[in-house]
Order: sequence, then C-alpha cells, then structure tokens
Amino acid sequence: MKEDKKQVWGLIAPALFIMILIGVIPVLYIIYLSAFKYNVFAKVPMRYAGFDNFRKLVFDPDFLKSLRLGLTFVALCCGIELPLGLFIANLLTLNFKGKGIFRTILTLPLAMAPITIGSMWVLITNPDFGPVPFLFRKIGIEYNMGISANQAFFTTILVDLWHWTPFVVLTFMAGLSSLPNQPYEAALVDGATRWQTFRYVTIPLLKPVILTTLFIRIMDTFRVFDEVWMLTSGGPGTATRYVSIHLVRLVLQSMEYGYSSAMSLFLLYLTIIICFFLLTFISSSREAA
Amino acid sequence: MRRLVGILLVTLLVLATSWCLAAVNNPEWWQKAAEPYKGVVIRGISESTPPSKAMVEVAAPEFEKLTGIKVEFEVTSWDEMYNKSIQDLQSGAGIYDFIYVEQDIIYAYLAQNWLTSLNSFIDNPSITHPEFDLPDFTSFINYFKDANENIYGIPFEAFLKSYIYRTDLFNDPGIQAAFKAKYGYDLAVPTTWEQYTDIAKFFTEYGKEKGVELYGHIAQAKTHPCVAYEMVETIWPAWGVYNWGINLEKMRASVENGGTLNSEQAKKAFRWYVDMLQYAPPGVRTYTWDETGAVFGAGKIAQGIIYLENLGWIAGDPTRSAVIDKIAVALPPTAPGVMDEAKAGKGYIGYYDGGSLGIPHSAKNKEAAWLFIQWCMRKEWQGEFAKMATRVVRTSTFDDPLVKELDAKTGGYFTMLKDSGYLFAGAPALPMHRPLNEVYLKWISKAVAGEISPEDALDSLAKEVDQLMEDLGY
Repeated sequence: MKEDKKQVWGLIAPALFIMILIGVIPVLYIIYLSAFKYNVFAKVPMRYAGFDNFRKLVFDPDFLKSLRLGLTFVALCCGIELPLGLFIANLLTLNFKGKGIFRTILTLPLAMAPITIGSMWVLITNPDFGPVPFLFRKIGIEYNMGISANQAFFTTILVDLWHWTPFVVLTFMAGLSSLPNQPYEAALVDGATRWQTFRYVTIPLLKPVILTTLFIRIMDTFRVFDEVWMLTSGGPGTATRYVSIHLVRLVLQSMEYGYSSAMSLFLLYLTIIICFFLLTFISSSREAA
Repeated sequence: MRRLVGILLVTLLVLATSWCLAAVNNPEWWQKAAEPYKGVVIRGISESTPPSKAMVEVAAPEFEKLTGIKVEFEVTSWDEMYNKSIQDLQSGAGIYDFIYVEQDIIYAYLAQNWLTSLNSFIDNPSITHPEFDLPDFTSFINYFKDANENIYGIPFEAFLKSYIYRTDLFNDPGIQAAFKAKYGYDLAVPTTWEQYTDIAKFFTEYGKEKGVELYGHIAQAKTHPCVAYEMVETIWPAWGVYNWGINLEKMRASVENGGTLNSEQAKKAFRWYVDMLQYAPPGVRTYTWDETGAVFGAGKIAQGIIYLENLGWIAGDPTRSAVIDKIAVALPPTAPGVMDEAKAGKGYIGYYDGGSLGIPHSAKNKEAAWLFIQWCMRKEWQGEFAKMATRVVRTSTFDDPLVKELDAKTGGYFTMLKDSGYLFAGAPALPMHRPLNEVYLKWISKAVAGEISPEDALDSLAKEVDQLMEDLGY
C-alpha cells in the first residue's frame, strides 16, 4: 500500500510542481503584494499598508465604474449569446441545403486570434473610411465610435457576439445531439406542439449544458481584453474601460503593483463566488435531471 | 572565355567590397574593436519609429557584416516597448543589451539606477571610435546626462513637433482671396491661436463646400497616452503653461499648491483643444501619433501640429504621400508673451522630442552593444540616416549635402531645427512620468469624450496629480 502511494506521488509530482510554480506561487506573491503600497516610481517603492489597498477599492469611483461596466458587458453578452446560440443550434438540427457551408462559416471566427479580430473591427468601424460608418451615413445615422460612448459600448458587445456565439452554438449542438429520443416520442404521442416540446422537453434536458456554457462564457467575458483593447482602448473617455482594461492600465501604465494586486484578488474572489453559485446550480440541475 | 568571366567576376567582387568599405570610415578599426565579441548576439528593443526602422533595416545588417556581432533588434509599439524594457530593467534579467531611452523617461530610469554610465566606454579608446566626437552632438545629448555630467544614452533621434501646412493651398490665389474676403486679413502661417482657429475653420468649410475631403485641423485625440502627451507637450506650452502644469520645486500641480494645471490659462487652452476637434476629420478621436502623420500624408489636412519625424516620408515617399512638394513647416502659433519667454529661456513653445540608445545595468554584452550604438551614430552615415528618418543628433549633419537637399524638400525643416530648436524643450524632469501620464490621460480623455467639462477635468486632474505626488513620496 505504501509503495502504491509513493508511486502515485511520484507520478503526479511533476505536474504538481509545475502547478505550484505557475499557479500557486504567483497567487501567493499577489497576496503578499496586496498588503503593500508598491509603485516602482515612488521615492520609497514599497511600504507596508495592511488592508489599505482593499479599503481603497471600496471608495475608488474609477474601479467601481469599471466593475459596473464589466458586469453589464458580461450580462449583455451572455444574455444575448446564449439564446441566440440555442436558436442557431436548433436551426442546425434541421436539414437544409448549404447547412455544411453555413456551419463552417459560422465557426470561422473561433479560429481567429482575438487581437486579429480587434484589428479587423477597427478597420470595419473606422469613422473615416470604414464600411459600417459609411453604410450608416447612407441611412442618415452618424456612427462614430470615437465620439459616441453608447456606440462604442455596443460595438464591443457586437464584436464579442460575433466572435463567441459560434462557440455557444457548437456546445449546444453537441448537447442537442446527445439528448435521448424517448422524451420526444412521448411528447409527440401526447400531442405537444413544437414550442411545447422545446420548452418542456429540450430546455430541461439541456439545462446542464446551458449552465456549463454560461459558466464558461461568464468567466471569458469578465476578463475580455484583446478585442476591446484594440478596438477602443477603453474609450471614448471611460465608456469601455471594463475592469480587465482598468486593471491592465493600472499595472502596466501606472505601475501600481500593490493596489492592482488587491484589485486582482478581489476580482478573483468575485469570480470564485459567481462560479460557486453556478456550479451548485449545475450540480443540483444534474441531480434533478 | 571562362577565364575572362572569372576575372570579370573577381573584379566586380573587389569593386563591390571596396564600395562597401568606402561607406565606412576606417573599417579596420571596427573589425579590430569587435574582434573579442565576434559571434556574440546583442539584443535590443525600440519603438517602431522611422529612425528605429532605419537602424534595424540598414545599420544592423551592415554592422553584422563588418564585425561579426549579431544584432537582434526588436521594434515594437510604444507601449509594448516600455512594458518589455521596464520589466527587463526592473527584474535585472539582462534580456536586452541596449534599449530605447526616450527623453521623457530618462529621469525615471536614472532614479532607479537602471542604466549603465557610458563614460567608461567613451574613455576607452579600444572600444570607442577615434571619430566618435562627442562635442559634435547637438545639445539634445544633455537630456541624457545626470547631475554629474555622466552620459547614459547616445541620441539617435531628435526632432520637433511643430506646425506643418500645405503650401499649394496657402498659395492658391483663389483660396487666398476667399480667406481675405471672409476674415479680413491675408492667409499666412498663423502666429496666434486665433489665426490658427480661423484657418482651421476656413479650410474645413472649404472642404465641405467643394465636396473634397479636406480639414483645417488634426489632433491625436484617441483615448491613449498620446492625447495626454499632446496637451502637455504641445498645446499647453504654446499657451504658456509649462512643465505639465507642475511646479517642479514643490512637485504639485494645482494652483492652490503653486502649480498651473488648473489655472485659467490651462483651462482656456484645454477648452480650445476640445472645441477644435470639430474642424478635424470625423475619426480624430481614434487617432494616435501614427494616424496624424498618415492622414496629413494622405492630403486630407491643410494645417496641423504633428511629430515631424514623419516629414521624411511625407516629403519624399510617393508610395505613401500625396503631398510631395506641397508642404512647408513653421513654428507653432503661440499665446501672447510665450515666444518672448521662450527666446529669453524662461519658457518653450513646443516639444523637442527624441530618444537615445542606452545600455541597461543588467546587460550581458555591454561592450558589443556600445560598439553598435556608435555604429548607428557614426558621422558618415548621419546624412543618409536623416534622409530616412528626418532626425539630426550631430551638428555636423546639418552641413551634409543630403540634409541640405532634404531641407528644401521639407520646406525648411532642418534650418528651423538648427536655428529655432532652442525654442522647444524636452519633457521636464519628472521621474514619475509614467504613472503621471496615466492620470493625465484619464481626465483629458474624459473631457475629450464629453463625459465632463474641460474645466472640471482640470480641477480634478490637478487634485489627483497632487495626491499622486504625495503618494509617491514627492
């Protein structure tokens, strides 16, 4: 028995070592830094601050605004991507001409790097020569992301939808193809309409997949960076300065290592809480199913 | 026949080799000095600017060929360059053997002791070229010295951010008549901000009337550090608000604490800046320093204040520029009294931008890097370098025939740089430059986006700068 245990530890040791090295140690270091006022360009670069950085977070209007913007972004993206993805996935269960091509084109954005997508949309939405502002101008609407905060905000959402809805479609298609036939046959025998079958059979059966997809997308959208950075850099003003962008600016530009560590920890805590509730929900829905 | 071809080939080879060596003064010295470092790989990083590209594309390959020292020179975006350099400097990893030390960041680097003093290299004749000629460098090199006159960077780029305009439009009799009829005075290079505003308005309206894409103003107004730099380097000094509005003795910015950042003049200038964006192209709030040059080069702008490192291609590259032989440069407009203050050395009218190559404290191949730095700044290449990148760091370069030719093509830029360069200034000594810029960016971009009025933005900015200074121990 002892030999077995030794063998097990020997086998997992390399992986464990790497995990500790690249996962645990940086987190511990961030916890350590969060207790300090630490700016590289300060006269005294590092001094102990206790919980001051966390206290500062609560009263920092810039952070609170970026957090609010970030959560709104998460809510809108997930709130649109999931129903839209489910709708498209359902459409793709039907047989129609050109389905294969449609499916291939649909998944293309997933193969592209977020930074490329950001650059591409910068050109598409460029107020001077981009096709989108040009077409809007034709119908009498002035579209200019450099001026309109709302347009910039919704454009970032649009880009995220364009990029990630195909992922949602793929997961739902996988989920739909694995559903059992019997409940559908029973619904057919009971004379259920298409909508009733979808509402009372498909949705409950697909619930674990929906929640898992939601779980992944919440985490992804909460830390969105590349596309928005390329597209607006957080502007105009602070209109798209989501919390991830705010954090990066604080670390790389302001070099506020202590305060940004506290902010990172808070965001990690927030993500863990959200994930905990979702996972609990997923587990309970699985048990119910 | 075969023998004849052979002789011909050898002759051509000898000629080609001697031509290559002719472009280098004393090639034997370089080979001898580099002998101990042959095969060494030196790594460097710089911003993707015309001067850096010239060093990567021309200087580095030639240096490798002559000395056997391999140069891995990374040119990247401005923010990426800083992130990588600072991480290397801070960690002491020694990834880079030479880095781009921009004039405004030198104080931060010196405060942290991140750079190697170059004096010991300069004093060592075995690795310093006999014609290096330190006194030949323009006064711009002084920005890279510490209080004890130790040198930490050798300038490779130095240029002005100044006024540029379209001579074809300004000299058009029809346009001149229309302007005079509208404003009652002759269309000419503006010397006041009121004149600049009239011209901007005139050309934007002219473009609309004629159905051509032409605007009277350009700015780098994106939510990006560039918008903050534009205010502190270009607009405020020319309105008489110097040193970022910061009192450098007290290290405070608000009027209450001795600064000028939220003074009436600063507010007036900032209000003007925001209002003027209406005369720029629709996409102006998405422009950084790159786009301002590009849009001017595309022929869409009648006048503006841009980084004149772009002049080389604007004046001479037909594949990129639509305004060749149609441009000239001048000093920027100023508020009353500012020009006199600048002439008296009590102020400045704009930004003398530039950067140097420095050697990090942690560099692993310092001597080889020093050789490469000298190579890029060797006298005989400076004319060609100026042609490629519109920069001058040596006084002798002004007399180079290539520069004289370019001077005429750029509407007198090099003459202006030589004669009036003293009216401009580099960034003030602010070692906390980088976090400071972020605070400026936040409030300036809020006002540019219309989230807050320019006046309120400056009150908040001044307050936050004071707080930041206090937090950083100043």
